[in-house]
Amino acid sequence: MSAGNPAAAAAGDGCGAPAGGAAVAAATDPGGQAIVEGRVVRGGTPVSAGYARLLGTGDEFVAEVPLGEDGGFRFFAAPGTWTLRVLAPGGARASRSVAAERGKITKVEVSV
Amino acid sequence: MSRSEVLVDADWVEAHSGDPGVVLVEVDEDTSAYDKGHIPGAIKLDWKKDLQDPVRRDFVDRVGFETLLSERGISNDDTVVLYGGNNNWFAAYAYWYFKLYGHQSVKLLDGGRKKWELDSRELTTDVPQRPRTSYRAAEQDPSIRAMRDEVIASIGKRNLVDVRSPDEFAGRLLAPAHLPQEQAQRGGHIPTARNVPWSKAANEDGTFRSDDELRRIYGEEAGLDFSKDTIAYCRIGERSAHTWFVLHELLGQPNVKNYDGSWTEYGSLVGVPIELGDAR
Repeated sequence: MSAGNPAAAAAGDGCGAPAGGAAVAAATDPGGQAIVEGRVVRGGTPVSAGYARLLGTGDEFVAEVPLGEDGGFRFFAAPGTWTLRVLAPGGARASRSVAAERGKITKVEVSV
Repeated sequence: MSRSEVLVDADWVEAHSGDPGVVLVEVDEDTSAYDKGHIPGAIKLDWKKDLQDPVRRDFVDRVGFETLLSERGISNDDTVVLYGGNNNWFAAYAYWYFKLYGHQSVKLLDGGRKKWELDSRELTTDVPQRPRTSYRAAEQDPSIRAMRDEVIASIGKRNLVDVRSPDEFAGRLLAPAHLPQEQAQRGGHIPTARNVPWSKAANEDGTFRSDDELRRIYGEEAGLDFSKDTIAYCRIGERSAHTWFVLHELLGQPNVKNYDGSWTEYGSLVGVPIELGDAR
């Protein structure tokens, strides 16, 4: 488990979600993982109520996390190109393409 | 079983969550979500602390479940409405678990916590106090829970549905893409399993797809033979509880079991067959 990774640490051995609500502290060492992380903003302000989804080829669902207090999210992906999709209240939706590389932290900021 | 018997929507919850005999329960892996804000009137269950044995890898026993529900103020004749994060994975797991111990009236809030939040509906931090009850549980119902020997014996004979992501199925990942890559000793899937990711059953907002869409996804597209018995599995049994709910409760398929040992057990067993690669 990577250091500085409260979301994943809180997830324990579950199938599921990392902790919602807490700020997602920036990872400092990818440790051989292909990490995609970032935050969601609206008019420069973090969006804390919402969800980030990682989608594969053909928009096949891969993973989803609730946004942190700071609008943050993090995925441990396989290397490759993914679609990052954000859902926020009020019908706000945004999608963008992201590339994940092993041993690298790919940073993304998404506006809704 | 029809959809209206096992699913309620948010409007129903807003209208009936305070009714006598209705208990709203949030089930999350992350209990801080409940503490930060939950649907008014809801109590919480922690899937791990409350529902798992603290020592063995198994559920709390019948007496333990009786004690838990009595303490939380749930009666045998209450209608329990479950919801949670993760597109209701853990709520579906709890639904299956309540059924395992014979609770009669259980429902899921369609879309769970996500749709409630995306609709900007009310959340509160007030924690309701419910008077203690004397809950009596049935013995576990083995017709909806599969154990490893039955799974191994089912290879090539029953429908095995692997509901993990395609990368986990193929053996490229050992865990969902928002978690570090650790867990079972080996990657891959159970031979003859079909890969139907749980997410195919859900819309983007977490609600379940229509019955017609679900029949098409599992039947025509995935090629499940509905005349055969079915076992669903994932990594530890939550995502597959979601699929169990779809097949058994929404589509009314008999003889559907959830294998809660799932890949963290199977992928660490010595001597069992494992298949690698993408779904054919």
